[in-house]
Amino acid sequence: MSASHSAEKALSASAQDSRNTQKRSRTMASSRKTRLALALAGQYAGLIAFAIFTCFPFVWALSVGLSADPSNTWLFPRSFWPTDPSIMWFERVFTEMPFLAYLKNSTIMSFWTIVAVVVISVLAGYPLARLKFPGRNLIFVAIIATLMLPSEVNIIPNFITLKHLGLLDSYTGAIIPNFAGAFGIFLMKQAFEQIPQDLIDAARVDGATELQILWRVMVPVSAPSIAALSIFTLVNAWNDYLWPSIVMTTRDKLPLAVGVFNDLTGPFAVSTSLVMAAIVLTVLPVLIFFSFTQRYFISGLDGAVK
Amino acid sequence: MKNSSSYTAIAYLFLAPALILMGIFTFWPVGYNTYLAFNNYSIADGVATWNNFEHFKYIAQEELFHSALKNSLLYLLVVPVIQVAALVVAKLVNNKLPGMTFFRAAYYIPVITAISIAGVVWANVYKYDGMLTWLMQTLHLVPQGPDGQIDWLGNPDIALYMVMLFTFWKGIGYYMVLYLAGLQAIPAEVEEAAILDGANAWDRFWKITVPMVKPTILLCTLLSTIAAIRAFQEIIVLTRGQADTYTALYYVYDQAFRNYNFGRGAAAGLVVTFFCLMLSAIQFRFFGEKK
Repeated sequence: MSASHSAEKALSASAQDSRNTQKRSRTMASSRKTRLALALAGQYAGLIAFAIFTCFPFVWALSVGLSADPSNTWLFPRSFWPTDPSIMWFERVFTEMPFLAYLKNSTIMSFWTIVAVVVISVLAGYPLARLKFPGRNLIFVAIIATLMLPSEVNIIPNFITLKHLGLLDSYTGAIIPNFAGAFGIFLMKQAFEQIPQDLIDAARVDGATELQILWRVMVPVSAPSIAALSIFTLVNAWNDYLWPSIVMTTRDKLPLAVGVFNDLTGPFAVSTSLVMAAIVLTVLPVLIFFSFTQRYFISGLDGAVK
Repeated sequence: MKNSSSYTAIAYLFLAPALILMGIFTFWPVGYNTYLAFNNYSIADGVATWNNFEHFKYIAQEELFHSALKNSLLYLLVVPVIQVAALVVAKLVNNKLPGMTFFRAAYYIPVITAISIAGVVWANVYKYDGMLTWLMQTLHLVPQGPDGQIDWLGNPDIALYMVMLFTFWKGIGYYMVLYLAGLQAIPAEVEEAAILDGANAWDRFWKITVPMVKPTILLCTLLSTIAAIRAFQEIIVLTRGQADTYTALYYVYDQAFRNYNFGRGAAAGLVVTFFCLMLSAIQFRFFGEKK
């Protein structure tokens, strides 16, 4: 009797207990939901605020470039919205500076830089990742160590070297120092290291040469990394300012980053509207290219930081 | 299967283009710079003559080089700020929430803009009646009217910090992408488990995220330290060394391509290289081993 009584008591106690827990967990759930919603709102607020910080100069530039009437240029925040929208300043960019020549130069120089960087990095990355040979570690460390050197210091010797080679004021001279770089070689080495050895062994058994293994096996599998390297190289080559500005002297051979900068800080500096239109036109090609390729970019860099 | 000696030949054959080009344009300059630094170089005939440390003696007592070096070291202040911000931003965009692709791209726009072009726009941000003045006046942080119209890039007390802000704006997206790649390597279960254990966001950030992206932190800190020490292109496009923004590499450039004193420029460049290597070594000691 007393046993059953105490059991009943225990039962009711435990029932109450579970009711209490339920209640507590319900209030906890609702407070957690508000907390999550708050966290989410805070997160988006932070993201938007930061996007404003990174984009406002371009929004302003675009708005000023689109305003036929420049009188509001220095009236904030009014100038973030175009006054009397038209594309007349953009048309004037093409007539008043050799914009198309600059664009052509940038395209040629970027294209050959990408081809050279990819070929050289793929060729160098393969033996460093997959072949055993004396001197491998030394070479790899030497290549990586160049990341720690201030490359701008090289401009004096490289200028002298190019003078001796007769490459000053040529496309080749403006891009050749960028062909072999630690970043590209490192990225390709990391990518090749992740490929299973079986694939290579199978190809070797089939009698493939190392060049065939590289071209038929390694390269197709590493496409994301090669894409990332190409995008990265394009952005760097397209935006390279310092070296071309030193090497190039003929105005018609200048790339966009140099030519437009020289023109904008020189004869055209008088019209802010024209300057901003030119800036928008300069940024646009990379922006379009990048927006189409950015998903390859981040996934392809994966290997580099592991 | 081939023997290992034939692999050696193939390996060096594959490495040849990279080694030759790096030899000419990366390794040779380091040696040649060292050589130039101890010589008087005449541009006209390319003759170099030994000068018994004259360049080093000169820059050791020159006020201009001292302030240039001081500014370059001061520039290191940007490193911790940009690294913490980049990691936080990478954490924010590393969510499966709508709009993240847009935000990533928005943060990357400054990186894919040529520094010269970005500099032209920022010159307008920093104009005395430009966007920064407007913002500060709207927030009532500076006096209204012409009194508060500060020439942000012309005032020696603040100009260098303004250039640093530009560097921050230009570089944060780059480090964000590197951190993002590092963050995506962290398995989602780790963080989920911590959430179940009741760890708050702050704890999760310091106890999970930071330790797990430590290799990336080392890489990024290293890259941004070297970038800070060699701050120079931003100076060219924004201030041309005016208003106490003269940095060590600007000195190198100025000596070489305006004074045509290649030897003195190379000597100063050697000093900058030395600082870069020293700071890298310190960082490897700090972050490298504790893994």
